[in-house]
Amino acid sequence: MAKSNLFSKIKGFVRSDAFIFLLPAIILIIVFYLIPIAVSVYMSFTPLRNWNIQRYIHEFVGFENYWRFFYMVTHDPTVQPIFITTVVFIVVTLIVNVLGGLGLAIATFFMGEKEASGTQLLWLLPRMTPIAVYSMIWYYFFHGSAIGTLNSILMALGIIHHPIDWGQSIIPWGPWMIIIFVNGLVGVSYGMIVFTSAISNIPKELVIAARVDGASNWSITKNILIPLLKWHIVYVTTWQMLSLLTTYDHIFLLVEWGLVNRYWGTTWALYIYNMAFTAAEKDLGLAAAAGVILVIVGAVLGLLALKIMGFDKMVKEPRGDI
Amino acid sequence: MKYYRALSKTAGIVIAIIIIIGIAAGAYYYIQSQKTTTGKLITFVPLTGDFHKDIINVGKALEQDGVKTVQFSVWSGGDPNSVMRIYGIVEAAYRINNIWKQNNINVEIKVSTRYVSNPNDVYEDYINKWSLGQAPDIMANGYTYIASLASEGYILDLTPYLNNYTSFLNQFYPTLIEAMKWKGKIYGIPQDTEARPLYIRKDVAACAGLDLSGLAEKIKNGQFTWSDLYKWALKVKESGCAPWGLIHRKGSAHPDLIQFIYAFGGKLYDEKTGKLVFDKAAVYKWFTVEKTFADHGLLPHDMMSWDWAKQIHPTVVDGKTLAFIGGTWHWFEWQTKAYYTDPKTGQQRPLTAEEVHKFFYYTLFPSGIKGKHGLTLSQPFAWMINSKAGEQNPNYDKLKDLYHELAFLVVVKASDPDIIAIHSLISGHLPVTKTAAELIKNKTWVEELKSLKIKLDPVVLNNIKGIIEKTVNPINVQFLANVTYMLEYTTFTPKHPQYPKLASLFAEALDQVLRDKMTPAQAVNFIVEKIKADPDLEKSVEIVGEIPQNWTFP
Repeated sequence: MAKSNLFSKIKGFVRSDAFIFLLPAIILIIVFYLIPIAVSVYMSFTPLRNWNIQRYIHEFVGFENYWRFFYMVTHDPTVQPIFITTVVFIVVTLIVNVLGGLGLAIATFFMGEKEASGTQLLWLLPRMTPIAVYSMIWYYFFHGSAIGTLNSILMALGIIHHPIDWGQSIIPWGPWMIIIFVNGLVGVSYGMIVFTSAISNIPKELVIAARVDGASNWSITKNILIPLLKWHIVYVTTWQMLSLLTTYDHIFLLVEWGLVNRYWGTTWALYIYNMAFTAAEKDLGLAAAAGVILVIVGAVLGLLALKIMGFDKMVKEPRGDI
Repeated sequence: MKYYRALSKTAGIVIAIIIIIGIAAGAYYYIQSQKTTTGKLITFVPLTGDFHKDIINVGKALEQDGVKTVQFSVWSGGDPNSVMRIYGIVEAAYRINNIWKQNNINVEIKVSTRYVSNPNDVYEDYINKWSLGQAPDIMANGYTYIASLASEGYILDLTPYLNNYTSFLNQFYPTLIEAMKWKGKIYGIPQDTEARPLYIRKDVAACAGLDLSGLAEKIKNGQFTWSDLYKWALKVKESGCAPWGLIHRKGSAHPDLIQFIYAFGGKLYDEKTGKLVFDKAAVYKWFTVEKTFADHGLLPHDMMSWDWAKQIHPTVVDGKTLAFIGGTWHWFEWQTKAYYTDPKTGQQRPLTAEEVHKFFYYTLFPSGIKGKHGLTLSQPFAWMINSKAGEQNPNYDKLKDLYHELAFLVVVKASDPDIIAIHSLISGHLPVTKTAAELIKNKTWVEELKSLKIKLDPVVLNNIKGIIEKTVNPINVQFLANVTYMLEYTTFTPKHPQYPKLASLFAEALDQVLRDKMTPAQAVNFIVEKIKADPDLEKSVEIVGEIPQNWTFP
């Protein structure tokens, strides 16, 4: 009875207008999210290596890849600093990204149109610059010898007399500062774009009315803009947190080039990448197992974030007594 | 209901017709592409070992099979001067096309090329694209990749072909052929090799009153070891002749430093078990030597993260160090890249060949043990043939063996002595055959090359003439001739698929030692812990020996 009820519900949904409207999005989610997750889960139970799909795809190794993953994590002497670095990196960079993006969006809201678009463009540069070029700029900026721009400036100003190896000698603060700064600068622009477009949709009458009543920029921000941006803050925070959990591209280059300490500059995602891909053999089964675990961790953290930020309350139907 | 109304009946019929026409056109094209000839196909030609005869037979077979054009692709990577790693194949195809033309065979080989700066990217792309049938037909890359490529079946076992080509095979230095083997079978043809000399600045040595005469011979015979070099470096530092005693390359260039393990009598690979070896005693000694240099200010504490272009090379070419652990290719790189600051103008520029000759003395890597000969390390490049070579060509399923034979013969042609010699002369790599080494000594031929009178495919000549003009000169020719003896003392890094993991652990641990964050003993134990933390690595590595208790340096 229950089955036929469910079947008729699905049938009803498929025949509804809602389904037609949602169809493109449903296809995209299936093709780009659900199928890759299913493939990753399948791969994690195979000994797939070196992209040799033809050879390994029908072999099944059970939970061996998961066992190997946990074995490596629990026996590796360098895991502890990497774990601490990951937590610090995500928390601090997230705060920088969300507050920075929000601050920039609000600041540009109070600017003239020309100044605002100029400022926004400037902050978009880190995101537009190719990863290798962007990382190279900060590599030379923070370089620990006299060729480093920061060291040269400080030495020219007489503040320091010898170059400081920022990413290698001031452990752990130096490498943390560098990876957070480099990633934070890229992430800020994302929040800025989302918040700017959200602010532009706030009815102007509210701001004009507040101005007429003599409200300052701060009280407009506090009492109008931020409350109306609640949805967007939840979205950007959750999105950026998940993104930071899996990001490793800039950090990979900074560690590889020796700018930052290998242990206090490596995050979880980079650790997994190195674990699976450093050998000449590309251990894709292991990488898939680690990826599945990362998806689970990400999902738990994402749900937790939504819970903490009161997402449930936000999606409740209005009571109609406003 | 709206969903069904959204697509009108007429529109549905039109879409269905378009789809049917598309499928029919695709099927027709496929059938046509397979129907290239009538009659029985020649799918294989027995190789005789006589190249000329074999290439004509293969050409005739292809012609009879209705194949007019054979498309091959070649990929490789490296420094800009090493482009013969792709043009060698282009030139070989050009020569084969000419042979076919002269014999009225109406078949042509067309070669597409891809060359990037990092050979590892080529390897990564190769394995990513192999299953999709998009990997190149021929690749020139480091011999260390042979293990993983062969074990996956990604490259062709060349042994059956080479069984008929023994005289061709015998031209190569035997150690290089050994390097091409995986589980007893040959999977590559040597393309180039190199040595890693220890460069010593003549001017710095003279300033400190050090006598270089006969040094190369002493190092070769084990009379001058790392202890002696340390004493020299100390003297240079104390006399203020140079700020550093020793400079080497950074973390990613660990093969240079692996020489220390061999210098202290250690090994990295056990032929009997097929396992990697972690020799605790030899690695401890290596770390201790470097730490002693660093503790006395002779080697930078942050050596493993120095910048190539702004720190490492300028320090060496500006004479701020006594010794440099480099490679033969650096002799040429210093002549083409602006690392040197001209004392007169203050501008950076490349060194001239005369200046490189004036500044640098070169020798084998010293031993760590008195009486044990010096050494060097080579990482030869190999031509490797895709096990699906020719897949993009007509009737591949039936003519597979013929395409594979042709790919093999192209590689044989690319090993012509002049092609190898040109590559050596313009890139600073050592010739892989004795005949090519002899050709380099032939002044008339070198002169012809320098004046661009040599007969080459115009496309190839056009692409390398700029490099020829910059690099081919008597000093460089002499240099190559002088360092070729080092191949007799060469060592290799293991071809094991897990080796890169172990090598990166060496680099990681050494960095900690140089930065004073670990003692040599702690670093050795750290590597042991890391090996044990990785089940794959643990299975692949034998840990041997103990940290020596009474050993001291210098």
